[in-house]
Amino acid sequence: MWTSWKFWTVMGSIALLAALLAYGFTVDPKMVPSPLVGRPAPPFEVQQLNGTGRVSLADLKGTPFILNFWASWCVACRDEAAVLQQAHRTYEIEQKKVRVIGIAIQDAPVAALSFARQFGKTYFLALDNAAGDIGLGFGLYGVPETFFVDAGGIIRHKKIGPVSSREIREQVNLLTQPR
Amino acid sequence: MTPTRAFVLLLLPLLAALTVPRAFALTEEEVERRVLELSDELRCPTCQALSVKDSEASFSVQIRDKVRRMVREGQSDEAVKAFFVARYGEWILRAPKKEGIGLLLWVLPFTLILLGGGLLVWHIRRRGAAAPAAPAAALSAEQRDAIQRDLKRFREED
Repeated sequence: MWTSWKFWTVMGSIALLAALLAYGFTVDPKMVPSPLVGRPAPPFEVQQLNGTGRVSLADLKGTPFILNFWASWCVACRDEAAVLQQAHRTYEIEQKKVRVIGIAIQDAPVAALSFARQFGKTYFLALDNAAGDIGLGFGLYGVPETFFVDAGGIIRHKKIGPVSSREIREQVNLLTQPR
Repeated sequence: MTPTRAFVLLLLPLLAALTVPRAFALTEEEVERRVLELSDELRCPTCQALSVKDSEASFSVQIRDKVRRMVREGQSDEAVKAFFVARYGEWILRAPKKEGIGLLLWVLPFTLILLGGGLLVWHIRRRGAAAPAAPAAALSAEQRDAIQRDLKRFREED
C-alpha cells in the first residue's frame, strides 16, 4: 500500500487541502487588500459642509491625516462617530499630530449636517459630489471606510468597517513616528 | 491666390476632420455599447456575484457613470479597466487577465480536464489489456448443450 501511486495521490491531495486550510487560518477574513495601501492618496478637494472652508490633498502635504468616509444613512457610522470625534480632540486639537477629515458619500447636505449635529462631530466634514468621484478614486466598497495617510501623502493603512480607538492610536503612532 | 494655394486651403477642413480623435466621433449608441461591455466586465463592489451592468446599487451606478465619462473623453477600454484595477485590484475584473497568475487560472481547468481524460483512457486500456474477455472455449460441454437447448426452445416458441 505504501508504494501505491493511488495512495500517495490521495495523501498528496489531502496534504494540499490541509495546507490551504492552514494558510486560510493565518489570514484575517476582515482584511480586504487594497492596491492603494503604500501608494499616494488620490488627489481631492472638498468644501466644508458648513461652507466655512476648503481642503485639498495638496493643502495636507506635510501633515498626516485620517480620512474617514461616512454617510448619514450608514448605521455603522453612528457607532464610530464618537471614536472619530475623540480622535479629533486628542490627536488633532490637543497633540496636533494629525488632521481628521470626514467625507460623506451618496448623501445630501442637509442629512449629513443633521447627522453631524446629532453625533457631535466637530472636525472637518465635507460631501463627495453626486458622481462619487472621491469615493471611486479611493476604491470604496461602502461606508464606513477609513484611510490613514502619512505626511508624504502615502496611504499607510485602510480600515473597512467601524474603526476602533485602539486602531486609531496604533495607526497615529505609526504615522507620526520618524521613518 | 494661386490655384495650388486655393486647393490646399480647400483641403484643410477635410484634413482637420480626419485628424479629429476617434472619441469625438463616437455616437451615443457607440458610447452606450462600450459602457455596457465594460460594465459587464467589472464586478459590483457591494453585490454578490453581480456585474456593474446588472446591478442598480449606488456604487454600480456611479461606476457606470464614470465609465461613460471616460469613454466620452476618448479613453481606451484598457485605460478604463486600469483605472478601476488601480483602486480595487484585479478583483474588480470579473474575468482574470490572461497574463501572470491570471493566465494560470485560464489554463489550469483545461489542463486538468485533458490530464483527467488522458488518465481515464490510460486506465481503461490498462484494465482491458490486463483482463481480456474470457474465451468461448472456457465453456464446458454441458454449458454448450444447455445454450443449444435454450436456443432451440426459443426458435420453436417463435
